[in-house]
Amino acid sequence: MQLLQRIGAMVMNLSSALGLYPLLLNKVISRLRKPPWFPRLILRECEMVGVQSLPVVLLTAIFTGMVLALQSWVAFHRFGAESMIATVVSLSMLRELGPVLVGLMVAGRVGASFAAELGTMRVSEQIDALWTLSTDPVRYLVIPRMLAAMLMMPLLVMLADAIGMAGGYFISIHALDQNPHTYIVHSFDYLELIDLYSGLFKAMVFGAIIGLVSCAEGYYCEGGAAGVGKATTRAVVVSAMSILIADYILTAWIFK
Amino acid sequence: MNPAPKISLRGVSKSFKGRKVLDNINMEILPGESHIVIGLSGAGKSVLLKCILGLLKPDSGTILINGENWFNLPIEVKLQRMACVGVLFQGSALFDSMPVWENVAFVLRRQGMHKPEARDRADEVLEWVGLPGIGDKMPAELSGGMKKRVGMARTICHRPEIIFYDEPLAGLDPVMSDVITTLMKRLHERMNVTSMTIAHSMKLVHEFSDRVSMLYKGRVYQQMSRDEIELSQDPVFRQFIEGRAEGPIQLTNGKEAS
Repeated sequence: MQLLQRIGAMVMNLSSALGLYPLLLNKVISRLRKPPWFPRLILRECEMVGVQSLPVVLLTAIFTGMVLALQSWVAFHRFGAESMIATVVSLSMLRELGPVLVGLMVAGRVGASFAAELGTMRVSEQIDALWTLSTDPVRYLVIPRMLAAMLMMPLLVMLADAIGMAGGYFISIHALDQNPHTYIVHSFDYLELIDLYSGLFKAMVFGAIIGLVSCAEGYYCEGGAAGVGKATTRAVVVSAMSILIADYILTAWIFK
Repeated sequence: MNPAPKISLRGVSKSFKGRKVLDNINMEILPGESHIVIGLSGAGKSVLLKCILGLLKPDSGTILINGENWFNLPIEVKLQRMACVGVLFQGSALFDSMPVWENVAFVLRRQGMHKPEARDRADEVLEWVGLPGIGDKMPAELSGGMKKRVGMARTICHRPEIIFYDEPLAGLDPVMSDVITTLMKRLHERMNVTSMTIAHSMKLVHEFSDRVSMLYKGRVYQQMSRDEIELSQDPVFRQFIEGRAEGPIQLTNGKEAS
């Protein structure tokens, strides 16, 4: 009986935790139809999500491109197909590694910040205060953050793709003695536009996931400082896991 | 004939996880009245305030502000109506990311007032609460008492008709408590606002209230005018106002047993 009670409580907790996301999404969608949209706040959040994430995203991308080139060389060297390194690097960056790694980095950096910021505002009654000051907290706090994450993720991924490919080029030319001209030709010859677009589409979906999960965790946070800590951790973990799951679903859907 | 009440609660109930926090609350606050709600910690005072402000939805009952049930209104209209209300939160709830003047002039800016004009108005109100020249400071640079006064300035900057004070003296030293009480009294006299205050302090009750309601076990246990407080012989009420541990109020883990 106790076991059943425990299972019941776990199911209740899980459904109430997961219920936060559709609840907030519904509020966001219902408010998107009418102004105000707070363009200044959206711009400020874009700066926070996009510009301030650049160092960590670009550093991740360049080293990923470099490692990918080295690892590909090890495999292709055995078959004498080293010239294909460029194709592997560019395809992997555009289709998978760019969006997923940038998504995970942004989930860690921005998702944590969104959840902590909104969570602190919740427990210190600042969100309640917004309401009493004739301002809708969903419009003022959540929508600008979600839009910024959705807009900035594709831009970050484009830059990460370019820098990752440049990292692969640098290692291939200077450490693996590849021909620069052939490398560049092979980098682009086998690419199709869908490779770029699918990555950017994934990035936008990952941005929406990060924005929604981390804002929901912060917005519905309770339990003081400890609650903010838990919300922040959950925001990062759930965002990261959701990105990986969504990546598989999107990949299967796009390339079927 | 009595004027129409500014705030009217009829049969308001609210439960959390099966525990009834508010049980059939009936209350009326008349225009210009200063109404103080007292009660033990956990008696449901803050929940009552949140229900009135629309931050929590009661399970049953009706709450009318200016004769209108705000819960039935679309969200945009509800937010417009909120302009007639000001709230001083227990922890001041200032926005950390904005300087003091922007906190104070928040509603004015949202209503479309130009920056210089809003700044002038904010400075004027800050001076009124005894804090001239701090408009450019950030909330993190202020002491608890200063934050409370900035919160007060933000509450009144858009000239609301109804003000809610949530434990306005909590965490303040006696001198700062007196400063805040004086400001509340001055505001009440000058602007003739209607106010509802959640409080523990009997000093505030004696100095600021017109009427008092005591919440006990989720219900309005007693309601009386300030002059009737000392005349009440009810043992629960007397134990509370005299602040005695011994008496009919049963405490469990520091809170009343319900």
